[in-house]
Amino acid sequence: MAGKLYDWFDTRLKLKPLGQTLLDEPIPGGASWIYVFGSATLFLFCLQATTGMFLALYYVPSPDAAYDTVQFIQQEVQFGWFVRGLHHWGASAVMVAIGLHLLQVYLYGAYKRPREVMWMVGIGLLLLMLTFGFTGYLLPWDQNAYWATQVGTNMVASVPFVGDILVRLLRGGESLGALTLSRFFALHTLFLPSLIVGGILLHLFILRRVGPAGPWNEEEARQRSETFYPRQVYMDAVVMLVLFLVLAVLAGTIEFPLADRADPADHTFTPVPEWYFLFFYQLLKYMSGPLEPLATWGLPILVILGLLLLPFLDRNKERRPRSRPVAVFALTMFLVTIFTLLGISIRDLHALPKVDPSLARGKVLFAQHHCLACHSLHGEGGKVGPDLSYVGDRRTDRDWHIRHLRDPASVSPGSIMPKFPLSDREVNDLASFLLSLKGAAADPTKGALDTEATEYAAVPSVGVAWSCRVCLWAEERKELL
Amino acid sequence: MTGHDAQPDDALVTSTPVGTRRRFFAWVTKIAMGVIGVGLAVPLISYAVAPALKRRESSWNEIGPIDQLPAGEPEQLEFVNSVKDGWRTASVKKVVWAIKQPAGSVVVFSPICPHLGCGFRWDSDDKKFKCPCHGSVYDVTGKVLDGPAPRPLDVLPSKVEQGRLWVTYKQYKSGLDRPVEL
Repeated sequence: MAGKLYDWFDTRLKLKPLGQTLLDEPIPGGASWIYVFGSATLFLFCLQATTGMFLALYYVPSPDAAYDTVQFIQQEVQFGWFVRGLHHWGASAVMVAIGLHLLQVYLYGAYKRPREVMWMVGIGLLLLMLTFGFTGYLLPWDQNAYWATQVGTNMVASVPFVGDILVRLLRGGESLGALTLSRFFALHTLFLPSLIVGGILLHLFILRRVGPAGPWNEEEARQRSETFYPRQVYMDAVVMLVLFLVLAVLAGTIEFPLADRADPADHTFTPVPEWYFLFFYQLLKYMSGPLEPLATWGLPILVILGLLLLPFLDRNKERRPRSRPVAVFALTMFLVTIFTLLGISIRDLHALPKVDPSLARGKVLFAQHHCLACHSLHGEGGKVGPDLSYVGDRRTDRDWHIRHLRDPASVSPGSIMPKFPLSDREVNDLASFLLSLKGAAADPTKGALDTEATEYAAVPSVGVAWSCRVCLWAEERKELL
Repeated sequence: MTGHDAQPDDALVTSTPVGTRRRFFAWVTKIAMGVIGVGLAVPLISYAVAPALKRRESSWNEIGPIDQLPAGEPEQLEFVNSVKDGWRTASVKKVVWAIKQPAGSVVVFSPICPHLGCGFRWDSDDKKFKCPCHGSVYDVTGKVLDGPAPRPLDVLPSKVEQGRLWVTYKQYKSGLDRPVEL
C-alpha cells in the first residue's frame, strides 16, 4: 500500500533521485557514532518546537494569567506535566547536544576550509538557542523567572552609552512587566523560530554543498567512504530514541515545580539562572567596579567574535588534534575555566540555606487555596478565621494540623472552615508550612499567648455562602492587583 | 526511508551495507522512529483533546441555612456559582427557587422557564409560578397548569447538611418535553 502510494507520487514528482541525493551522501571514512551530535541537536530542536506548540495551546502570555495557565498545564491537563517536562528537560538537553557537537567539530578541525561558513552559521544557531533559553525562562512568570530576567535585563542596561535604550527596547518599557512578557513570548514562539529554521536550513544546505568533513586523518578519509543511509541513519535514530527515552523518564520522575507567583515587591528572592548560564553568573560575581561592564559585555563579545572568526584565526590546514597543540590547549583552558566556574556556582548554590521542599510546596498551596481570604498573616488577609501568623507556636503538633486540614470540624468543633479536597501529600505540605509560622517570641508586638483568637469570627449574613465569598474575595483581589 | 538499493555513481569508493545488515539497520531505524512517534503522539493528542472533551464540572454550592425558609412558600435565593473556565474560575451570580416542604426537605427549581428560557416569578397572591414571556403557569410543585410549557419546572439536585442547603446548578435545554442537561 505504502509502496504503491510512493510509486504514484514518484511518477509525478520524481522522488527517487531526491531520495538518493538525501540518503546516499557519502561520509568520508564511513559512518561513526561520533557524528551523531548534529542530528541529535536537530532532533531535540524539533522536539522543543513540537512540545512548544502544544504548550501554546493553553499558555497565555499575560502577567495575570501566565502563572495560572502554566499551573493548569502542569496539574490539570492530561499529560500536561509530560509535555512541560519534555520542554523543560529538552531545553537543557539541546544545550548539551550543541556543546558536544561544537566540541566534536572543533576537535576534528571540521571548521576549517572549506567549511568556514557552515561553522559561522552554526555559531549563529548557538546564539539563537541561548536567546531561546533566556526568553523562555520568563514565560512561567514565577519568582525565579521574574527575578532572573530582572537581573538579565539589568545586565543589558550596563552597556556603555546605549544601555538605557537597549534595556527599554528589551523590556518594552521602563520596567519588567506585561509588555516584557508579551515581547518575550512573541520572540520565543514566533521571531526566533522563524530565524532559527532559516539558519538550520542554511546550515544543512552548506553541509550538502561541502559534504561532511570525516575523520581528522585525511588519508583515512580518502581511502573509503560510506553512504549516509542506512548505517549513519541507524546510529542517529538509536541516539534519538535514547534521548527521547531519557527525557521522558526525566519528565516523569524529576518534578520541576513552579516557584511562587512572580512578586515584583518581594526583593528577598534570590534568582538562579539556568545551569547553562551559571558559569557566567559565577564569573560576574568576581568582577566588580570598572571591571564589571568589561566582564558583562567585553568578555562575551570577545568570545563570540573569537568563535565566529575561528576559521580565519586558525588557518593551519592540519586537522589532527595531536598536531594542533595551541588549539587543543586553548580548548582545554576554556573547558577547565567553564567547568570550574560551573562547579563553584553549583557548590555555592548547594551551600545556600535550603528551604524544605515540602514547606515550599505548602506555601504555594496556601496561596493557591486563597487561605488569606479568611485567615491573616502579619496583618494581611481576612478576619473570618484565626490569625495564622504564629500558628506554629500555638499548635506544634503536626498530627493536629493534618487532622484539622482533612476535616476542620473534627478537631475544632464548630469550625466553618470547609474540607478542602487535598491529597495526603498536599495536607502534609500545608502542615509543614503552618508549622513553620513561628517567631512570636521574636516579635515584640505580639506574643504567642495573646493571639488566642483561635476561634472563627461570627459568620456575617447568611444567604451568600461564606465559601463563595472566598472565591469572590479572591477574584476581587486579583482584579485589584 | 525508501529502502532503495541503487548504488551511487562512485560505488568504487563508497560502500553501503547490503543484505541482512542493511535490513537490520533499516529495521532498527523504523522501530526507533516508531517508538518516538507513538511515544509523542499519544500524550500530545490526549493533551490537546482531553480538556476539549471534558464535561463541565458542576459542584455543590452552599446556599445557606434552611431554618429561615418559610414552609410551603417559594423563596428566591441568590448565591455565587463558581464555574471553572479552563485555567480560570469565573464567579457568576445565580438565583434558584427553593420551597421548604412540610417534612423539612427542600425542593429547588431552576429559575429558567422550560418553555423558552425566560425567568419566571412567584405570584404570592395567586400561589402560582408565572412566566411573563409566553404565559406559562405552574403550581408550587412545578406542574404545568397553563400555557405553552412542554414540561414541569426543572428540579435542581439539592441536599441539606447540618441545616444548610446545598445546590448543584445546572441548565437544561428549553422547549423539550423532558429535561436534557446543556
